Amino acid sequence: MSQAPVPVARWRRPFEAIRRRALGGPLALIGVAVALFAVLSWAGPAQAGTPVRWTVPVSTKPADIKAGNVLFDLHCSSCHGMGAVGASAPALLSVGPAAVDFFVSTGRMPLNSPKAQPVRHRPYFSPKQIAQIVAYVNAVDVAHGTPGPGIPAVVAACKKQGPECPTLSEGDQLFLLNCAQCHDASGSGGMLSNGYVIPSLRAATATQIAEAVRVGPRPMPNFGPGQFTDQQVAAIADYVHWLSTAPDRGGLGIAHFGPVPEGFVAIIFGLGILLVVSRLIGNRG
Amino acid sequence: MSTAAERSASRKRAERQEQVLDFVDDRLGSSRWIRSALDKIFPDHWSFMVGEVAMYCFVLLLVTGVYLALFYSPSSAVVTYHGSYAPLDGQKMTQAYESVINLSFNVRFGLLMRQAHHWAANIFLAAIAFHMCRVFFTGAFRRPREVNWIIGITLLLISMLEGFSGYSLPDDLLSGSGLRVVFSIVQSIPLIGPWLAFTVWGGPFPGSSAFLERLFVIHEFIFPLLLAGLLGAHLAILWHQKHTDFPGPGKTEKNIVGSRLWPQYAIKSQALLMFVAMVVFGLGGLVQINPIWIYGPFEAARSSAGTQPDWYVGWLDGAMRLWPHWEFRSFGHEIANPFFPGILLPGLVFTAIYAWPWIDKRLFSDYGGHNLLDRPRDKPLRTALGVAALIFFVDCTLASATDLIGNGLQVSFELLIEILQYGSFIGPAVGGIVTYRACLLLQRGGAHPIQRPVGGIIVRDAHGAYHTLGAAHEEHAPGGHGADNGHSNAEEAVLERVGADREEAEADRAVRTGPGHGAEPVQEERQSGGAEPAVDEQGDQGGHHRQG
Ligand code: HEC
Ligand code: HEC
Ligand code: HEM
Repeated sequence: MSQAPVPVARWRRPFEAIRRRALGGPLALIGVAVALFAVLSWAGPAQAGTPVRWTVPVSTKPADIKAGNVLFDLHCSSCHGMGAVGASAPALLSVGPAAVDFFVSTGRMPLNSPKAQPVRHRPYFSPKQIAQIVAYVNAVDVAHGTPGPGIPAVVAACKKQGPECPTLSEGDQLFLLNCAQCHDASGSGGMLSNGYVIPSLRAATATQIAEAVRVGPRPMPNFGPGQFTDQQVAAIADYVHWLSTAPDRGGLGIAHFGPVPEGFVAIIFGLGILLVVSRLIGNRG
Repeated sequence: MSTAAERSASRKRAERQEQVLDFVDDRLGSSRWIRSALDKIFPDHWSFMVGEVAMYCFVLLLVTGVYLALFYSPSSAVVTYHGSYAPLDGQKMTQAYESVINLSFNVRFGLLMRQAHHWAANIFLAAIAFHMCRVFFTGAFRRPREVNWIIGITLLLISMLEGFSGYSLPDDLLSGSGLRVVFSIVQSIPLIGPWLAFTVWGGPFPGSSAFLERLFVIHEFIFPLLLAGLLGAHLAILWHQKHTDFPGPGKTEKNIVGSRLWPQYAIKSQALLMFVAMVVFGLGGLVQINPIWIYGPFEAARSSAGTQPDWYVGWLDGAMRLWPHWEFRSFGHEIANPFFPGILLPGLVFTAIYAWPWIDKRLFSDYGGHNLLDRPRDKPLRTALGVAALIFFVDCTLASATDLIGNGLQVSFELLIEILQYGSFIGPAVGGIVTYRACLLLQRGGAHPIQRPVGGIIVRDAHGAYHTLGAAHEEHAPGGHGADNGHSNAEEAVLERVGADREEAEADRAVRTGPGHGAEPVQEERQSGGAEPAVDEQGDQGGHHRQG
């Protein structure tokens, strides 16, 4: 081969043009994706910690009880009866502070229609008013001689197992064994028979989670002290809270519902983009 | 038009290619074959590229899968986790699960590779399904391509099994729940079921320690090898028989119009590979998939509400939910319920799909060979049946997501199941009838709703002059399509439109004088400004290669 050297740059030029258009873009995008991924996956989970104590004290001040009485008569008595003795809705004579705080602070009460399943809502009352209603119903229950469970406290999780100290791992195991069959392992909810919707746990505060475990808002079963110690309840609450606040590892968590939305994304976005690309690259005639 | 400089550059390029071919020829004596291979013509309708999307997903699955296999351990020995993921600290788990957790959190690129692998698997199956629909609705499976249809369906089947075996490897809650369902399905097979399940699992569920190891060998070795072999055969047959094409100006049963393999088609195909990689790694890096650390290690006492299989197995899961609680007895044995939706249904479905080319021959009394495709409207019955089958599939898939749909729409679970039970009959029937009517209407209307020939076809004659064919005939002739003589009719319409004699003569000349087979390098073509279709001769009924 005794020919003059071929000018390489020239020979490449038409390919260069195609490559710049067809390959440069995707490569750049892969680069960006990998970089973003690196940032997302190395931003580790936030350290868990929701500091509170075992049981939250309920006010017994007459002023609070009186204010709560006024609010109750105005907003609750139409269904629960004057003095919470029950009417179209069940009596509240032994529910205890945990139930009242849970139902009112999650906006479930006051209910719009007595027939509907109580669902989460923007709370109707301020935290102070809620505390007053809790104080009133608690006073009624105590006077009736049947005080119910107090508002459970949630303590910060510890790194290692210890007495009086819940861990994320303990919460994880208890949650997967007792709650995941209804609320999904990622806490995103599901469905029960008879049309009951199982809510996502992502909006609940740690205290509300612990309350729900003790109270068991129907149709959810309640878990009394015989099933879980206070520490275990705190561990569950801490884990669930962590589940919904810790950043997702590996990127955007799509609805946290597992394979169904994943398949949807794979078909609609994954294959969808590639169909559009094929259409742009290929011919239409 | 091209400048002198451009022309001389392209001549240089041609010379260089000749040099390379000479080099190969001197040593291996194969440049003739390579040249004809490089000149091979691929029709590049966009829908034909989706098969390639599947192929590239497979390549990416191999690459990412090998990376995962370097760190995965298929051992069911129980260990106590003390790694970096706090919620699992101190928990007992199998070594397999631990290795995938470490792969996700402690191995560089581990999570990216895991997620890319899983996204690639989901897209792989979606691309195969689309590819299969394309082949079905255009009649590309007809003689002489029945063998490739069989191979393609086998690829689909093995890919589904491959995906499911991969899903079961991490030994997390979803893996275990899925395997438990499959175990009970296998057990439900009359007579041999319990024995088979025990043999495969090596004991009662969850099986002996050998099971995970078997699964791993199957997933990373046996199935990929089978897939690679079948894919090779699939492509070799495609190469030998040449591609089908839609009828259109200048296209006949005996020629093939499109881009040459080198450089146009190869560049297109490489661009597609880049895009597939972009989507797979983009999703893998940005969107979470299968967060097994949240599901936790599998334990028989645990379950999770949203326990679903990956999408391509969802229709079987849905069929199990839709199947009523009937009892069947034969020879004094009760046939366990999962047998019907779990074994019988997929068995029947795949038998029907395998046999389809022969069913199709009977339905349309058409036993001949075809290189030109049907447009879906040309065979209303086939199209209607295909749409009905797809609706059935979607109905079953929705059934596997009833708890999520119910949660989203606040509708009761039982109501949804009942709707989908009726839907599995009514949906396909209504969809089929509507499709049938739509096909007939489209035939009468003439114009294709989305696809219209773009530009004309440029042919170079013996004197080097260029002529444009078909440019004046972009619209389909109205009323050209009769109601029931489908494909041949469509083809006649094209010939009418272009003028049969002229078209055939021109195409013929293009073949004979066709660029690229003689001394003239292909690159010369590009001077005329790019996407000029080349014409190649097509062997009779996929017979031998008469090119060059
Ligand atoms: C429209 C009628 C209605 C109003 C108004 C209403 N509730 Fe209720 N409430 C109900 C019904 C019905 C239930 C039973 C829900 C169930 O179990 O599904 C209930 C349940 C409760 C429970 C739980 C009882 C248990 O046994 O666990 C508490 C606590 C409660 N309500 C507190 C309140 C308070 C406090 C208010 C006022 C802020 C209020 N409710 C207003 C209808 C009402
Ligand atoms: C039988 C199924 C079931 C089980 C098991 C169950 N739940 Fe629930 N859970 C429900 C249902 C249904 C509701 C909705 C009740 C309502 O809206 O009144 C609910 C509501 C809740 C809520 C309130 C959510 C909100 O944001 O309003 C929390 C928190 C909760 N559950 C936590 C738990 C925890 C923690 C466990 C495990 C200890 C658990 N649940 C076990 C069915 C269940
Ligand atoms: C060809 C088609 C293939 C498909 C459809 C496929 C599919 C899958 C799927 C869905 C998973 C689950 C991933 C997850 O945990 O999220 C998986 C896991 C795995 N695959 Fe594949 N795979 C394929 C090929 C391969 C190959 C060729 C190898 C190795 C040589 C491989 C090695 C692995 C390993 C080691 C795992 C377990 C690790 C993990 O789950 O992260 N795969 N596969």
